[in-house]
Amino acid sequence: MVDVNIQNLTRVFQDGADEIVAVDGIDLHIDDGEFVTLVGPSGCGKTTTLRCVAGLDIPTDGTIRFGDRDVTDLPVQERDIALLFQDIALYPHMSVRDNIAYGLKIAGVSRDERYRRVEEAAELLQITDQLDKSPADLSGGQQQRVALGRSLVRDPEVFLFDEPMSDLDAKLKRELRPVVQRITEEIGCPTLYVTHDQEEAMTMSDRVAVMNDGRLEQVGPPKRVYDDPQTEFVSGFIGQPNTQFFDGRVAAANGSATLEVGSHDLSLPTEADRLEGYVGREVRVGIRPQYFEVTEDPEEGIPARHVLDEPLGDETHSFFETEFGELVVVTGPDFEGERREYGLVVDAGEAQLFDPDSGVRIA
Amino acid sequence: MSTKDSESGVFGLEFSAEDRLFRIGLGISGVIMFLVGVFPIYWMAQSSFKTRQAILNSASPLPGPGSFTLSNYAILTNSDVSLYVINTAIVTLGTIILVVIVSLIAGYGLARFEFPHKENFARFLLFGYMFSPIVLGLPLYLIWKRLGLLNTRIGLIVALTAISMPFSVWLMWKYIQTIPRSMEESAWVVGASRWRGFRDVVIPQSQPAIIAAALFAFALAWNDFTFAQILLPRNEATTFAPGVFRLITQGYDTSWADIMAVSMMMTVPPMLFAYFLQSYLLKGFQIRSL
Repeated sequence: MVDVNIQNLTRVFQDGADEIVAVDGIDLHIDDGEFVTLVGPSGCGKTTTLRCVAGLDIPTDGTIRFGDRDVTDLPVQERDIALLFQDIALYPHMSVRDNIAYGLKIAGVSRDERYRRVEEAAELLQITDQLDKSPADLSGGQQQRVALGRSLVRDPEVFLFDEPMSDLDAKLKRELRPVVQRITEEIGCPTLYVTHDQEEAMTMSDRVAVMNDGRLEQVGPPKRVYDDPQTEFVSGFIGQPNTQFFDGRVAAANGSATLEVGSHDLSLPTEADRLEGYVGREVRVGIRPQYFEVTEDPEEGIPARHVLDEPLGDETHSFFETEFGELVVVTGPDFEGERREYGLVVDAGEAQLFDPDSGVRIA
Repeated sequence: MSTKDSESGVFGLEFSAEDRLFRIGLGISGVIMFLVGVFPIYWMAQSSFKTRQAILNSASPLPGPGSFTLSNYAILTNSDVSLYVINTAIVTLGTIILVVIVSLIAGYGLARFEFPHKENFARFLLFGYMFSPIVLGLPLYLIWKRLGLLNTRIGLIVALTAISMPFSVWLMWKYIQTIPRSMEESAWVVGASRWRGFRDVVIPQSQPAIIAAALFAFALAWNDFTFAQILLPRNEATTFAPGVFRLITQGYDTSWADIMAVSMMMTVPPMLFAYFLQSYLLKGFQIRSL
C-alpha cells in the first residue's frame, strides 16, 4: 500500500535577480488507488508540482513521500513512477512493441517475459494489431494508448499524467477518458493527473485539486468543488459556462439579509448573523448561469437585451447585454432569443458570496 | 501589362527570349563546371588506363587498342603506396570515430545542460576556422614534437579531429535540440540512467547528424594535405595526398600513368560517399537555426 504525501512543496525559479515562485507551499495527499486531478490555468504551477513529484525537478522546499519512503531528493530513476507526457514521447526508432517493452528491458526482464506482458497490455488497450508498426504510423489516440501501455506493463508505484490529452480533439478525449480510468484502476496506484481542462478534471477524478498562482485553492470531490466552491477563483474556473460575477453589498434588516446588486435587491436565505462583519460592506457575488431565469417581462429582474444563442442540443447558452456587462445564461434547448428585451430573474438561494479582497467564500 | 508590351521581363526582353537566355546561361555554367570539375577527373581516369608511352606521345580522349593497360594499377602494390593507402584509411577512420564521439558528447552537453557563457563557448569553437591549416600546422608541429606525436597516426588524427570538430559539434548541438527532452525523460522515468537514455534514445535519433558529421570528417581527413605533410614528415608514416606529391617530386622513375592510377584510387571513395550519402550531407545543412 502506497500513498503520496506532499507537504509544503515550494519551487522557486531564479530568473537573473528575480525570483519566480512557481509553487508556493502546497499540501496534498493522494490515497492508494485514488485519482486526483490537479487543475488550473496555464502558468499556475501544476506542471512544476507534477515534475517535483516525478523527480524531474527538485523542490526548493518541502517534502514528498511515497508511503513511508521520503523521495524528495531521490532521482527520477529510483522513484518507480510512470509518467505520461504531453507530447507522448514515443521513440520513433523503435516498434510499438519495443516502445511498450522498453521499461521492462531497463528493468532486466527477459525478452520472452517482456513480450508476453506487452501482449497482455495490448489486449487491454485494444492495440494488438498495431504492435509491429512504427509509432509514426499510428493516430494520436492510438499513440496515447501505446503510451498508456508503457506504464501498464511496469506496474508503477505512482502514476502521473502531464496534460496527456491537450493535443487531442474533443471526440478522442472523450474516447480516451474511460481508457485512462480503466488503466489506472487496473494498476491501482495513486494517480496525479495534471490538466488545464476542467471537463477532464470533473469527469475522471476521485478528487479535484484546483490550483491558482502556485497555491491550492480547493481540494475535494468534483461534485463538491462544483457545488460548493471555496473561493471566487474556483467558482469561476470550474463549471461551463463560467459563473457570472457581480459587485454587491450586504444589507441586514430584522435578522434577514438582503443583497444589493446595482439597483436590485435580493433577499438571501442565509441569516444575517452568519454574514456578520460583511453587513454594509461590498462583496463579490457569483451566480452560475444555470440559476438565471429568463422572463419575457423586462420589468422583472435585471433588464437584458438578447445578443446571441449557442444551441448545444440539450441546452442553449444565451448571451445577454445588461447593465453589468455581458451575461451568459443557460436556457432551454428550444430557446430562441431573437435579440428582444428580457428580464433575468436570479435565484437568490444559489448566489455565492465572496470576500472582495481575499476571494474566500462567505456564504 | 498588355500582351503587346511583352518587353517586360527582368532584362527588358520578351519572355521567350529571356527563357532562351536562361537556357544559354545554364549551358555556359554547365560547360564551365564540366571543364573545371569533371574534365580533370575524366582525364585522370582515362589516362590511368594508358601506357606510359601513350601518355607521352599524344593526347587522345580514350585509350586506344594499343595503348590500353591495367598495369598502372600495379603501383598500388608498391610498398610505399600501399603504406600510404593504409595510413590514409586508418587516419580517416580514426578521425571519423573521434569526431563523432566528441561531437555527440559535446553537442549533447550544449543542448541539454546550462552553464555560464555557453553560447560564447560554442562561438569560440568556430574560431578555429579563422586560421588556415598552414598557420595552425606550424605551431602544432612544435607542440607535437614536444609531445612525441610527430609521425604518429594518432597525432594526425587528433589534429584533423580538432579542425573538423567545430562544425560537427554545432551540427550535433542543433540536431539534439530538435529531439524533445521528454523522450529522454520518459526513459529516465522507467529507470534508465542519463547515459542509458543518451545511448538508447538520443544516439539512435541523431543518426542523420552522425552520418553528416562522419561525411564531413571523411572529406576533411581523406583529402588533407597540409597537416599530413607537416606532421608526418617521414615517408613511412605519411598519407595519400603528401605521398602522391612525393611521388611526383622525387621519383624519376614514377610516370604520369602511375600517378593517375594512384590519384584515381584516391578519388573513387569520396565520389562514392558523396553520391550515395548526399541526402545526409544535405540534411546536415538543413538543421534549423544553424
